[in-house]
Amino acid sequence: MTPALSISHLTKRYRRGTLAVDDLSLSIAPGDFFGFLGPNGAGKSTTIHCVTGIATPTSGTIEVFGIDTVKDYREARRLIGLSPQEFNVDPFASARQIVDWMGGYFGLHAAQRKKRTDELMERFDFVEHQNKPFRELSGGLKRRVILARALIHDPKLLILDEPTAGVDVELRRDLWRYLGELNRDGTTILLTSHYLEEVERLCRTITIVAKGKISRQGPKEEFLKDGLENAYLAATGAEPDHIAGAA
Amino acid sequence: MSDIEEAPRPRMGINWIGLATIIRREWARVWRVPIQAFLAPWISALLFIFIFGFVVGGRIRLIGGYHYITFVLPGVVMLNVVNAAFLQSTSQIYFQRFLRNIEEVLVAPLSYVEMIIGSLSMVVLRSMVTALGILAIGAAFGAVGLQSLPEFLFWIVIFGLLGIIVGLWAKNFEQLTVLNVFFITPFAMLGGAFFTVSMLPPWLHWLLYGNPFFYFINGLRHSMIGFSEASETFGMAFSLILCAVVGVIVWRLFAIGYGLRE
Repeated sequence: MTPALSISHLTKRYRRGTLAVDDLSLSIAPGDFFGFLGPNGAGKSTTIHCVTGIATPTSGTIEVFGIDTVKDYREARRLIGLSPQEFNVDPFASARQIVDWMGGYFGLHAAQRKKRTDELMERFDFVEHQNKPFRELSGGLKRRVILARALIHDPKLLILDEPTAGVDVELRRDLWRYLGELNRDGTTILLTSHYLEEVERLCRTITIVAKGKISRQGPKEEFLKDGLENAYLAATGAEPDHIAGAA
Repeated sequence: MSDIEEAPRPRMGINWIGLATIIRREWARVWRVPIQAFLAPWISALLFIFIFGFVVGGRIRLIGGYHYITFVLPGVVMLNVVNAAFLQSTSQIYFQRFLRNIEEVLVAPLSYVEMIIGSLSMVVLRSMVTALGILAIGAAFGAVGLQSLPEFLFWIVIFGLLGIIVGLWAKNFEQLTVLNVFFITPFAMLGGAFFTVSMLPPWLHWLLYGNPFFYFINGLRHSMIGFSEASETFGMAFSLILCAVVGVIVWRLFAIGYGLRE
């Protein structure tokens, strides 16, 4: 079966010499809910940027459902939806404009955009805020707009970079429910998060990266044997709690 | 789930909707600052036309058989159109980079050519609205209209492309103004907007003949009133070559992701 995402020997070195991703390879099965974990600066966002076209890989290949993201970048990008860690929007544009424009960039006709934007605004409960400038929205509403923007074209592969950072407990749980539904309906999801509870609850496969390399990967159950937090700390080279506490 | 997912995904041709969305987005952005985008150049042109054409021009004898206001109008149009084209292209690229919403376009199925054409279309649109307003002001003072649209458009595109290069290159707001301050304004002012070649001593003629703006002003003036001080064919060929060279540079910069991709 063609993987939803296949990364082979990806290396990314920035112009100033920083090696952000070092010969990283991974494969995500279609329909998987994939946790992509690691400390800040481990190379998670850079890997995502290489997949989505925000960054140019130094070497290696990336395929989305068998389509090369460099050679056939337009077809590959049509299949990907990205909810980035930072709010990369025009802050003076309204919530509705932001979602609608993204639909436009992906080639959706006006009627499709309107229908889909209405659906998403309803689902994420920001209908009454749709005409407000993005900069006037609360943190939670901003996060919902960004997520709606990522979903406007119904991507087959949804990449979520810290999607619940800064949102309240109610919204976080609502987003978890929605992401679960999306995944059950067939959308492959790649999630990065620092909330291990979130990863434990949602993901089926987990990969941990540290210093640009994969340090551990496998099914979630393998990580849960010693507790996800301890497995994470061990994989990233940090000391688990009980050891740090004993020192 | 919506019905969009169920629809087949045939291979994309030209992403016309994406291209139109770039224009819609930029139009919305420009309309947030209508005074800066349109009223400022129109008021500036009105003052130029009133002072140079009406007040000062009333005391100047005919130039090449034309009233001074008629002679000056093409230069006033050019100054403001070039400025509008340059401001539009630099600001749309630079602010998108600054706010990082350029990433919305980078992750979308848009080719480099589509991104460039979308950006340039808005440059042409804004410049044309600016030019039409100035021509209307000029007509109110008895000056004539524009007759050669193709050459006019060529120069708008050229300055739009130059603006994109500066927008990609600039690392801060200060650098955005560099080309305008040290190239566009002085070359435009010295390009014969307000005087003829014969008004300069012969040893200074190189100031005009070596200045690309001179050929634009001259071509524009010829297209509007029939007065010319240089070869029209040379001016058009020069503008075509310049357009092609700058266009290839911009395409190459987009292709390698200069200033756009990490």
